[in-house]
Amino acid sequence: MLRRTLFTVAAVMVAFMLICGCIGTTGPETEKQQLRIATTTSLDDTKLLNHLSTIFEEQYNAEVLVVSAGTGIALEYGQRGDVDVLMVHDRVREDVFLADGYGINRRVFAYNYFILAGPESDPAGIKGMKPEEAFATIREKGMAGESGVAFVSRGDASGTHAKEKAIWKGAGFDYATEIQGSGDWYLEAGKGMGETLTMSNEKQAYVLSDIGTYLAYKGDLDLVTLVDEGDILLNVYCAMQINPAKYPDINSEIAKDWVNFMITDEVQEEIASFGVAQYGQPLFYAAQDDWEKIGVPQTEVKDPIP
Amino acid sequence: MYEIIEGFIEAGRLIITLDPDVMTIAARSIIVSFIATITATLISVPLGAAINFGTFPGRKGLINLIQTLYSLPTVIVGLLIFLLISRVGPFGFMRLLFTPTAMIVAQTVLVLPIMTGLTISALSGVDPVIRDTLHSLGATRLQFLINVMKEARFAILATVAVGFGRAISEVGAAILVGGNIMASSFMRSTRVLTTAISLETSMGNIPKSIALGIILLTIALGVNLAITMVQHR
Amino acid sequence: MIDLKSVSKRFDDTVVLRGVTARVERGEIFAIIGPSGSGKSTLLRLINLLDTPEGGEIRIGGSSIHAKGDQRLRIRRMMGMVFQKPAAFSATVYENVAVGLRFRGVGEGKIREKVGDALDVIGLAGYGERKARTLSGGEMQRVALARAMVTEPEVLLMDEPTANLDPVSVGMIEELVLQINRDLGTTIMISTHDMYQGQRLAHRIGVLMDGVFAQVGTPREVFTLPTSREVARFIGIENIIEGVVVAAGSGIAVIDIGGTSIRAVSPFGVGEEVCLCIRSEDLRILRLSGEGDIPGKNSLPGTVLSIAPRGPFSRVAVDCGFLLTSILSWKTVDSLGIEEGEEVFVSFAPDAVHAVRAAQG
Repeated sequence: MLRRTLFTVAAVMVAFMLICGCIGTTGPETEKQQLRIATTTSLDDTKLLNHLSTIFEEQYNAEVLVVSAGTGIALEYGQRGDVDVLMVHDRVREDVFLADGYGINRRVFAYNYFILAGPESDPAGIKGMKPEEAFATIREKGMAGESGVAFVSRGDASGTHAKEKAIWKGAGFDYATEIQGSGDWYLEAGKGMGETLTMSNEKQAYVLSDIGTYLAYKGDLDLVTLVDEGDILLNVYCAMQINPAKYPDINSEIAKDWVNFMITDEVQEEIASFGVAQYGQPLFYAAQDDWEKIGVPQTEVKDPIP
Repeated sequence: MYEIIEGFIEAGRLIITLDPDVMTIAARSIIVSFIATITATLISVPLGAAINFGTFPGRKGLINLIQTLYSLPTVIVGLLIFLLISRVGPFGFMRLLFTPTAMIVAQTVLVLPIMTGLTISALSGVDPVIRDTLHSLGATRLQFLINVMKEARFAILATVAVGFGRAISEVGAAILVGGNIMASSFMRSTRVLTTAISLETSMGNIPKSIALGIILLTIALGVNLAITMVQHR
Repeated sequence: MIDLKSVSKRFDDTVVLRGVTARVERGEIFAIIGPSGSGKSTLLRLINLLDTPEGGEIRIGGSSIHAKGDQRLRIRRMMGMVFQKPAAFSATVYENVAVGLRFRGVGEGKIREKVGDALDVIGLAGYGERKARTLSGGEMQRVALARAMVTEPEVLLMDEPTANLDPVSVGMIEELVLQINRDLGTTIMISTHDMYQGQRLAHRIGVLMDGVFAQVGTPREVFTLPTSREVARFIGIENIIEGVVVAAGSGIAVIDIGGTSIRAVSPFGVGEEVCLCIRSEDLRILRLSGEGDIPGKNSLPGTVLSIAPRGPFSRVAVDCGFLLTSILSWKTVDSLGIEEGEEVFVSFAPDAVHAVRAAQG
């Protein structure tokens, strides 16, 4: 009796697995090339990447596998050769990564602006300030223990976190000694952008976010945009290949296809129009014609990788 | 409160209408954890038997170590497997990172200690008179081992259930080595119930999280019910 | 069939067996009796190869059991064993009985036939498909017996098989033991702490005390002629009195016990210190001196100390300078009309007294 029961259970399991396996790998799909991308969370959380990879998969008969992480972890994955392509937004660390020879063929495909969001009541009174000024004010009020003034940081070495540090620096503070651990007002989430926004919402705290993720989450949030102007808030997204010289068996052809795909006119249009219908404004701007404005060489937005 | 109720209603809808997204994730969870549990069983039962029946120096210490590893944190296992199978790691050439196979490996490693330990307990829990009886009936060494295992079969089955429960409910290792990928093909994706719940919650999709949570609970409950039923026959 | 030569065994610091020597004949039922902890189980386990002796040798059918590999298995398969605790495999009754046959690679048809027969014998025909764990202790023990016997071993070892059972089940098991021995000629070694069971079943009894056989003999020998004070006490002789032989001749001796003389059948010479063993049942109590009734009979004056009920009998304790207890029927006590504190005479024949050398004790 027992044996029969066990056998039945096992048989059902095996049948189930076979069915799922068939659904999952119908026919020639197994022949498809795989492209592994490590991306900053903002591109994934906004579903932009999902939208673009669907188009890419059809055109190139490829399968896109996206690992969503902060820029810091994404760079780590890239450095270890665990992915084929990086999509990140931290110019300074990208330059180091390229200089170290881990990455090649960087192409800038999109940009937008960071925003400083916070509770509508704006307890620190920073609305309309310049970013550096607003940051300094939050710190001052936070350190003074003014009630309701708190700041939630990504705290995860992501591109957004890097940008936040840059703003603190611009405001004249040393991040490690004067900001981090300086008081209860400064919280490090250690999570992706979406989760950090959710946390800020729960705590009614100030938060630095990329506009794309903010808009995508806005429906669930009680936070409003308080500061959104200032050159320092510029947020530039790039895609780059992992250097096949470092990892020879990396899928460099399909990686090249992807990076080039990102700067095609078609995709640039897709990026510019993505989310407009839903949010009334674009989440990202196409980088193609604004290279001067965002301060990158023309080759990085125009020239496909040969 | 409203959010929770609304969540449950939406969860019910997702489950009743067999929402393809939810069902795919649930199916993948079961498959990954099922294979991991079977693999772990194939290792832990002989290993547990060897430790239980064997006599070698350090046996007690080994059992202690195994019991200590019961509470092995899942992220530690995740990190360890990540370092091993990452491209620059010793098994990097196998290109396992961010695949369901990687998750299976991680979950297998994760449940091995507890399954081995419980197998040892199950076997040592067999009545000494039963062991004596087997010997006195003229069992060969092999016949003895097989029959002691037969006697412990229900306890070993419970061990399998415990292993499966721990495998399917862990999130730390799955997300580190799986990457929570949602790809177009079933077997390339690595999004399972726990990582999906984590993601959906972070994205504010509470109803979907609840639906996934209910399914996870149902699976765990179902497995335990099935085992209990077999044991009571 | 079974030869034990100076078999010794200890667990850590506790010496359990200190040189057990005995010989069990083919076709014999040999009971090991002895107090708990005397090493009965250990001895059976050593014979069944479940433990290894420290010293000495065990031979079965002439060949030493201390072998390795196939030879060891071959010897073990000559034996069957039933343990004190009824234990069944978690399987059907049929499968339980079949285990030993399966180990021996017997064909399925043959197994069905033999197991069927065995279940008939133990009175559990039709129980084959029942789960063995649902049986009562007595039924389980019968299954254990069938399981051990279905392989037709030459030697059956039973370690207190009825210790935890109700009287009816005990009776059934005992009946089966006798039947197996009679019909199959199986040599049976059974340990029991119930000496009357030993008496009922055994051709010979070995009294295991303090790690050695204190006495080996027929039940009659053991129960009437214990060789030492300890054996006497164990087999339930209540009156054990120390004294010195003061006169001896023609089989009857006079033994002095602190001033009182007792006539007894004794082989010991004058001056030897002895223990006198007198069964309570053999003591009579009289209101008047019965001296002279029968020549040579002992008749000792004493005071009744207590009268206590004991089953259908009364146990009467009399102080005759030393304590003597007598077992009398209620009716006898009533007709005597004795009460505590009364003066009475205790009377017994010289051949009711069994003398053993005191030094042995």
